[in-house]
Amino acid sequence: MTASADFDQNAFVRALLDPELPAPNGLEARHGIPPERRFAVYRNNVCVGLVDALAERFPVCRQLVGDEFFRAMAQRHMRESLPRTPMLFEYGHDFATFVSSFEPARELPYLSDVARLEYAVGQAYHAENATPLPMDVIRALPFDRLAGATAALHPSTHVVASTYPIVSIWRRHMSDEEMTPLELNHGEEALVVRPELAVNVTALPLGGSAFVHALEDRKTFGQAVIAASGVAADFDLTGCLRELLLAQAFIAVGASR
Amino acid sequence: MSDRKLCAAFAIAGAFATAIALAETAKAAKAEQEKCFGVSLKGKNDCAAGPGTSCAGTSKTDYQGGAWKYVPKGTCTSIVTPKGKGSLEPIAN
Amino acid sequence: METRSAPEHSCTRERSLPARAGVGFKSAHFSDIEASAPDVGFFEIHAENYMGDGGPPHAQLMRLRRDFPLSIHGVGLSIGGAERLDREHLRRVKFLADRYAPAAFSEHLAWSTQGARFLNDLLPLPYNATTLAHVVAHVDEIQETLGRPILLENPAAYLRFQSSDYSEIDFLREVVRRTDCRLLLDVTNAYVSATNLAFSAEDYINAFPMSYVEEIHLAGYAEDADEIGDPLLIDAHCAPVQDAVWRLYDRALALRGPVATLIEWDNDVPAWPLLLEQAARAARFLDKQRSGFGDNARSEALHDGVG
Ligand SMILES: [Fe+2]
Repeated sequence: MTASADFDQNAFVRALLDPELPAPNGLEARHGIPPERRFAVYRNNVCVGLVDALAERFPVCRQLVGDEFFRAMAQRHMRESLPRTPMLFEYGHDFATFVSSFEPARELPYLSDVARLEYAVGQAYHAENATPLPMDVIRALPFDRLAGATAALHPSTHVVASTYPIVSIWRRHMSDEEMTPLELNHGEEALVVRPELAVNVTALPLGGSAFVHALEDRKTFGQAVIAASGVAADFDLTGCLRELLLAQAFIAVGASR
Repeated sequence: MSDRKLCAAFAIAGAFATAIALAETAKAAKAEQEKCFGVSLKGKNDCAAGPGTSCAGTSKTDYQGGAWKYVPKGTCTSIVTPKGKGSLEPIAN
Repeated sequence: METRSAPEHSCTRERSLPARAGVGFKSAHFSDIEASAPDVGFFEIHAENYMGDGGPPHAQLMRLRRDFPLSIHGVGLSIGGAERLDREHLRRVKFLADRYAPAAFSEHLAWSTQGARFLNDLLPLPYNATTLAHVVAHVDEIQETLGRPILLENPAAYLRFQSSDYSEIDFLREVVRRTDCRLLLDVTNAYVSATNLAFSAEDYINAFPMSYVEEIHLAGYAEDADEIGDPLLIDAHCAPVQDAVWRLYDRALALRGPVATLIEWDNDVPAWPLLLEQAARAARFLDKQRSGFGDNARSEALHDGVG
């Protein structure tokens, strides 16, 4: 065998990811023309494919900054962080963190929280199925003993808290609402649930995400209220439960402790 | 049960009952709205896992060099920051 | 619509794909398909898009699986890589194959993963004794895990390695001989590689081990040019199948006889009727092959829809 051992996959990947590097050794096109342009097809496929995947995963972020800015930003991210598995629906798990420290986007401080919300929407889309607790079962719960009860939430449930109105921003872009100016003077806590096939995004009252996190940690309703009140002194428990019920977030409410 | 716990239990019971009533009134209106979000989400999560297939060819990708030259030109201009509309002066770096 | 994550009853598996025209399934087409119950031979999906736990992808797939034979096409096993297979990923593939009992499972003669980084492209390998050993070991392991032969697909090439000692076809023959796997002949890939590397696509098709081919892929390529202005074709899956590829497909069918044929259209996904029309065209080639083997019938199919 001539040069069998010469194929260095590492070097191939390095050149693939760094357009400044020459094409790896040992490649040929035809008629003795240099392989650069051919190698560029692979470079381009990797780059465009992953940038496209991020563009599909973060459509609101893309609209917020425009296509050109988004693709350039996504390309930066792609060079720092490649997918860890072949399941592209998981790609972008650290995109929000990247955006939050991305200098050119610092004028848009809400952008990384919108990215966090969009990633949660994608995760909810692929999450395990479960049957929400029917309303008549909920109506028949022993309310006076709920303070000591725990709850199981739908596996698609995510909460994203922000000091910016991320739910309002998301909604305006996902529906055909007109883009009237939006004030950034308040925060919103997003609740993401996919009870059946459609992912729903709603805003919880302030402290709501702490409430949901506590329930997810198998804390009782009583303990969850205390956790939420630690975040928002005037935590609106009724409003929070209303949103959770509307979102069909409960799949079980456990026995009293 | 301590007084404090009793009080919390009472508050939670009341909140739950009220929340159920509120949720049921809101449900009809909400269902319509959700339908529309569901539709707009459709297909947006079907990642193009089509490795090796890109329409861009070789010449269309502008590999980004060292200098950052982009300015956000999207819908962010309709968001009013405390400092003013979008505050999108070109970024100096 | 089925919304549960687990099937109530497991699907029964067809022994192989029907010798008919199928299309790659895109969720954007789901409502069209549901509403029109189209006469499609089979659907093919990319395995990796269905590896989540639940939600619309599985609901749609359960629904499709009820009415159509299914082909699962993997894009992430990295069979051509030097590294050992990602067992976790292979386990996911097996889970999917057990759940949906597809009529075929196919993968690529390429690699896509390196050091736990997934590059999302089908990358090329030299064809020599070292890489042959890797590919054979990987195909063996996959077939052992899945308990069935897989179909291995010829890649689209943009360049070649000086360290190759085998032609692509000799390499594929050797993999088939050692693993007893089957082949997926991508006619567009053959045409793209032939153009890019200046060999004869007809010779490639004539030499291809047709008796092992259980599926054919057809897709539209994109055209670019290289440094000296020669055509550089890109396997883009974003256009209708071009005439040169239809002609080559006709030749392949003449050698192979009718076999499951997939229209691959993954980017700039067209409206459903346009995709269906491409499949109908492939079906006409298959019909004429079945009915006559006559040159007149074939040239009629070739001229269908041209112009
Ligand atoms: Fe293919």
